[in-house]
Amino acid sequence: MDNKQFDAIVVGSGISGGWAAKELTERGLKVLVLERGKDIKHGADYKGEHATASKLPFYGMPDRERNAREYPVQSSSYAFSEANVQFWNNDKENPYIRTEDKPFSWKRADVVGGRSLLWGRQVYRWSEQDFKANAADGNGIPWPVDYKDIAPWYSHVEKFIGVSGEAEGLPQLPDSEFLPPMEYFEVENTIKGRVKKKLPDITVTMGRCAILTQEHKGRAPCHYCGPCHRGCSTGSYFSSQSSTLPAATATGNLTLLPNQVVERLEHDETGKRITAVKVVDTQTGERREFTAKIFFLCASTLGSAQIMLNSSSSLHPNGLGNKSGALGRYLMDHAKLGHMSMVVDDTDRFYRGNRPNGLYIPRFRNVGGQDADADFVRGYGYQAMAMRPDWETTFNTKGFGADYKESLRKPGPFWIWFLQGFIECLPQASNRIYLDANKPDRFGVPQLVTEFSWSDNELSLAKDSAVQAEKIFRAAGAVFYETADIDTLSEGGASIHEMGTARMGDDPMQSVLNKYNQAHEVDNLFVTDGSFMTSASCVNPSLTYMAFTARACDYAVKQLNAGRLGA
Amino acid sequence: MDRREFLQCAAVLAAGTSVLPSSWAMNHEQQAFLAAQPDYIDRYPLSFFTDLQRAAVTTVAEQIIPATDTPGAIAAGAPRFIELMVANWFNDVERTLFMDGLADLQHRADGDFAGLPVDQQLLMLEQLEEEAGDAAWFQLGNVTRLWDDTAPFICQVKELTVLGFMLSDVGSSQFLRVNPMGSFEGDIPLSSDDSSYAVELPIRAIAGGEV
Repeated sequence: MDNKQFDAIVVGSGISGGWAAKELTERGLKVLVLERGKDIKHGADYKGEHATASKLPFYGMPDRERNAREYPVQSSSYAFSEANVQFWNNDKENPYIRTEDKPFSWKRADVVGGRSLLWGRQVYRWSEQDFKANAADGNGIPWPVDYKDIAPWYSHVEKFIGVSGEAEGLPQLPDSEFLPPMEYFEVENTIKGRVKKKLPDITVTMGRCAILTQEHKGRAPCHYCGPCHRGCSTGSYFSSQSSTLPAATATGNLTLLPNQVVERLEHDETGKRITAVKVVDTQTGERREFTAKIFFLCASTLGSAQIMLNSSSSLHPNGLGNKSGALGRYLMDHAKLGHMSMVVDDTDRFYRGNRPNGLYIPRFRNVGGQDADADFVRGYGYQAMAMRPDWETTFNTKGFGADYKESLRKPGPFWIWFLQGFIECLPQASNRIYLDANKPDRFGVPQLVTEFSWSDNELSLAKDSAVQAEKIFRAAGAVFYETADIDTLSEGGASIHEMGTARMGDDPMQSVLNKYNQAHEVDNLFVTDGSFMTSASCVNPSLTYMAFTARACDYAVKQLNAGRLGA
Repeated sequence: MDRREFLQCAAVLAAGTSVLPSSWAMNHEQQAFLAAQPDYIDRYPLSFFTDLQRAAVTTVAEQIIPATDTPGAIAAGAPRFIELMVANWFNDVERTLFMDGLADLQHRADGDFAGLPVDQQLLMLEQLEEEAGDAAWFQLGNVTRLWDDTAPFICQVKELTVLGFMLSDVGSSQFLRVNPMGSFEGDIPLSSDDSSYAVELPIRAIAGGEV
């Protein structure tokens, strides 16, 4: 293994690493993927898939004692449960340092496939306005990439992963290459019709998601069992496990090693070229080195920055490629705030199957220019869920016997319609990660320290999300609603949309990467996970990571073949 | 996959499937694993309660959710769930509240609640619920928290009975109904007598600390 010559090394097998593996192997490169997590087999190791509550420990009630001890960070995620605990990072084994008054929640997977197994599967294109936002309002630095640069790569990715959704023709949310959308609940049709009539500037559309509504590239359509994040043996939602890694394997050019924590990257005497990656085997503790011509960091926003910070040298004293000082800074996430309403229409209508998707209300504030009444820049979108309440919300009443039992049997006489604002976050230098050399982890790698807080702009956006949610609830005909106060705003990291830390830009003194995700200071190093993001938009970011990864791979191979990467 | 495994898988599929897409190929290893897993309540022997305590808790559970034209708490294994949860899931504060409350109930029943006539059992439980009337547990909306660790015994046992019944194999399939997988239809009629769908995970577990 150690003597085998690889053309490229990809660190991480999650949503970005899987794409790098696919694109590079399909261009003929011999690729080694290094994954810190355990090996799991697609399908066979999805132990919780289709498990009923009766099969789960404590019937699925969280194991509080174990979670407090081993998963204090991970267990607060909606997607964490007894049915998929094996996918998640053990916080005791692999810790990081939270700063009490600036808390950041780092959600991590620890298996081959990474968080592509656990993601929310919502996919939305960025718009022209998103890429121009920094330049327009002066926050952060300008993006070196425009919508038209990335649009063909969005198409490239969407055609492969399969995206179901509805075309709306909105400038602020360009349409993807769509498979048919999922069906609406009748109550959602009612709500949509009322909102359209009363608030014509607000669009209600089916969630755009990487879940198949028809057979696609050999993968079966969704069978609507519901909880995708337990793993999907039919590959009906996109993951590295179901899609990109099999495609890379099919080329015969892929080698994937699980259980490999990357400690640091080594460079040559010029400091402009990476020569090797140093790893620790999590099972044996053995340390090894692998060499290649080009290196792709896809280890996640915090993970990749950690590796670069830990790769400092005399030529890169502040971390690899960090002349700008931007490495580890400008960490972003989406702030989340949830608003609730009750609707009493269509209570005699129901559904069959468990739709793993909701509705989406695209950004409608500051679209195409600053709204006169807005004391904030940027905007937010809402993810909307309709739920029919049942015994779980009515059991805490008095009574015994047949009457009490019967009171728990049927769906409640109303629908809950929930709007969750996903709020754009401005890049701030003070939101950052750095290494604490005095606190090494079990492999001797310095732990990350996180510092994160929302800016006033996010707080203003969050307040506005409550004001506008009230308007929408009224238009929707809700009989009761309760909008949230900003003291319930999510903690940084909780949306699992963390990004920034190695932002791209044209100016090497202000950014770590150039417009092709290539390090300004290191020719054969590319970073294509969320760390390259120069601003955050308000839409779910994974699609954008995939598109930039595919584009960077195309560029890197062309440069390599032209002899321009020093190899 | 041998014949026994195949039959187990078929049983799992038959329990939760309507129309399967032609290309639907589930992983056989994963299915066999799931089919071979006993339910949580059948995985461990019961050793926490004394026989008298177990009889009392079983009787309380059946008073809360009796067998009617559908199975009740006992048939659904809810008493087993209660004993396992009290022994292994409750923290010390909650366990003490429960065991003290159970001791009080037994004391009121001269040491054997299960031995009382049925109508006296019911009166005693109603009396306990009356005494607990001010508990925060009864507040509207106090339902998505993981557990209310101030809940008095009578509320604890009711909540565990409901969870142990609704999340059980019997309760979810014979009292509630299984939402069939295979396809999705967003608009079908709900008749006035239709049960709710069984849940694959209690909502409080999904809510976690952050929604």
